[in-house]
Amino acid sequence: MLRAHAIFSLMRSRISVRFSGLAKHFDMRLVFRDVSGEARPGEVLLITGPNGSGKSTLLALLAGLSRPSRGTVLHLASSRPDGSEIPRSDWRNHIGVVSPAMAVYDELSGLENLRFFARVRGLPDIETRCRAALEQVGLDPTRGTLVRGFSTGMTQRLKIAQAMLHEPPLMLLDEPGSNLDPEGRQWLERWVQDLLATGRTLILATNDPREMEWGSCRVALPG
Amino acid sequence: MLRFLAEARAVLVKDLLGELRTRVAVSTLGLFAITILVAVAYAVGPFRISAEDRPLVLATLLWIVLLFAALAGLDRSFVKEEEARTASLLRLAARPLAVWAGKLVLNLVLTYLLMALIVPLFCVLMAYRVTSVPKLVLLLGIGGYALAVVTTMVAAMISRAMTRGALFSVLALPLLLPLLIFLIQGTAAVAGGDVRALIPAVRALISLGGAMTVASALLFPAVWE
Repeated sequence: MLRAHAIFSLMRSRISVRFSGLAKHFDMRLVFRDVSGEARPGEVLLITGPNGSGKSTLLALLAGLSRPSRGTVLHLASSRPDGSEIPRSDWRNHIGVVSPAMAVYDELSGLENLRFFARVRGLPDIETRCRAALEQVGLDPTRGTLVRGFSTGMTQRLKIAQAMLHEPPLMLLDEPGSNLDPEGRQWLERWVQDLLATGRTLILATNDPREMEWGSCRVALPG
Repeated sequence: MLRFLAEARAVLVKDLLGELRTRVAVSTLGLFAITILVAVAYAVGPFRISAEDRPLVLATLLWIVLLFAALAGLDRSFVKEEEARTASLLRLAARPLAVWAGKLVLNLVLTYLLMALIVPLFCVLMAYRVTSVPKLVLLLGIGGYALAVVTTMVAAMISRAMTRGALFSVLALPLLLPLLIFLIQGTAAVAGGDVRALIPAVRALISLGGAMTVASALLFPAVWE
């Protein structure tokens, strides 16, 4: 009960992400070094750079999916009395991630995928929540279709629905508009504006000039 | 506790549903086990072993068939998550222990299905007589559990490594060897009707299974995250 309370408190909270002196090596290969920045509530922090510069790797570090070779990443919650650091083990409760490197289950339907993620996150009102998320991304009519039968654009929409299922205050998006049709891109832009209006923090890795217009703070990774 | 069980159940149901639709692990386990079993039956046959050696030799052959089939198929639960690139979202959404528990029960179900298929076939093909079927079932139940615990943990470890197939076997075998020795002793005791030899084997298997459960539950979060 206490844990559930803590989770929902984090979901309602506003989150800042502060990172400094980050470096990442894979074996002997240096991906990037000395990368610093801060993402604040209601803002989009852009991560830009050429292919292979480490944009997705940086997002993985900020999401806690990988550890930096050097440097620190802090997630700070406004709901905590001193705006203090959230333990790394709790990060997953306030993060939503959309990334080409992360897939949903293609042997399950769209609705089954969302049900699964809602259940493992211990969310309430699972059916209503999942149907609402599918409806929001325009996948409700195909909710029973297995993901292996989805187009890449539909899969991208499902990934977005998965990321917003638990209404996280921090969203990490890696090229979110890729594979979306013009209508989907318009919807995505409106969705991003809604997230910002509700004080959510966005970290966006992109090279798309249209998506770059969504934010003014930028971390540019050298090639 | 109830929430943890619900999360573990969600992982299990997701994997079972996926397995029902793809049948990758079931096919691998079944085909591998039947191939080895037929090869053993052809090479050794039911009557080429002396009556005196039969309980021990046939018990050894039975567990070799079960073990190698398990090694071929049970690593799928974690390797599939990495290969299909679903592991990252699973890490972000689910608590490590819920993932461990869900995958453990999945491997347990697959192990028991494998045993239900192979043990009767083995008994028929090798003319293997056991004096007490309930005692054999008890032994298979405990042994299957310990086998599932070890393979789940090792599968999680190698799913993050590059050389998957070979590494799984190399890491699993030292953990499985003591287990295998007690299982063979116990099975031979059941076949030979020696109840006094069965009790220490069952005790050792319960201790090993318990120790492996605690060790994997403690180590899994470090391996998974």
